[in-house]
Amino acid sequence: MECSSRQAAERIVAYHAGTLDPHAAAALEWHLKACPVCRPLSAAQQAVWSALDIWQPLPISPDFDQKLFQRIDAEERLRWWQRLSLPRLSWRPSVSLAGASAALLVAFLLRTPASVPTSPAPAQAKFQIEQVERALDDMDMLEQIGVETARSPI
Amino acid sequence: MNATSIESRLAQPSWNGRVNSNKSDFGSLDRDADLMLRVRQGDPSSFGLLLERHRGPVIHFFYRMVQNQAVAEELAQEVFLRVYRSRESYEPTAKFTTWLFRIATHLGLNWIRDGRNERRQGSLDDDGDGAARQVPDRARNVEQELVYQARLGEVRQAIENLPSKQRAAVLMHKYQELEYAQIADVLRCSESAVKSLLFRAYEALRSRLVHLA
Repeated sequence: MECSSRQAAERIVAYHAGTLDPHAAAALEWHLKACPVCRPLSAAQQAVWSALDIWQPLPISPDFDQKLFQRIDAEERLRWWQRLSLPRLSWRPSVSLAGASAALLVAFLLRTPASVPTSPAPAQAKFQIEQVERALDDMDMLEQIGVETARSPI
Repeated sequence: MNATSIESRLAQPSWNGRVNSNKSDFGSLDRDADLMLRVRQGDPSSFGLLLERHRGPVIHFFYRMVQNQAVAEELAQEVFLRVYRSRESYEPTAKFTTWLFRIATHLGLNWIRDGRNERRQGSLDDDGDGAARQVPDRARNVEQELVYQARLGEVRQAIENLPSKQRAAVLMHKYQELEYAQIADVLRCSESAVKSLLFRAYEALRSRLVHLA
């Protein structure tokens, strides 16, 4: 393997990461003692590895789990609510259909009664005319027999 | 289910991983997948165990990725929320940690992509709350502490200067100790692409950090 190749550098990275098998690690260590190309590269990678170790994580907030469980429970409640709401949602088209039908029916009923009352009205008017005529005849008759009526001149 | 139900169920000693935490129980590689399958079957205590095991690594990954502890915890909450949401459709086709870090990396890369300008402005103002909250070590004197903070600042800057995908690859490789194959699975690329990413990333880090030796 060419020491300046990418594979050689990957092997050195793997060596410092501790993922090289023991046999390959031992062979590389032997090689590093003599190789002027790989030795500085290995030292630089060791420097990077140690530098990265400086960066330690911060403590986790004590209420992390509590916040998470609250979010999970909120989602669970929402799911239950959605499950309960689903049957209602399925009725919605029929409800709106029924509403539309009712509106049409009401409109129809409001429109048709306008012609229905026309039949009793003339009969009633005719009855009233007859009654007035009869009353006038009666008054004429009373005047003829000498009874004073409201129509008589004062 | 009321607001405290999952918490109260997890608080029962027989269920809660935090109370009965026994790290030696987790010898098997498939342990996480097994726990997730139990979560799928409706066992919330298994979710508590998964949280116990992976809370730290996920938050620390985000912290180094976005360099802000509050944002890191917020993103980690989103990861575990997504894990819980996916419980019913979960299939153990990959290692649990691979799946978990795929979700985390996706969120982290999106956050970097969407909030880059705002974050840069923020980090200029207050150093993104990371260094400010780094607790001084009482074993170091003032001078040592100053040197330490300066070195830490350089490391943080060097990581931040990496392209986001290289940064994610380095963090998973160095701090999470994921294998190349896992990182490839997380980033949805080939192993050779991961090696290439890491080669370029470490090359850049060597040029910036070699003087810290």
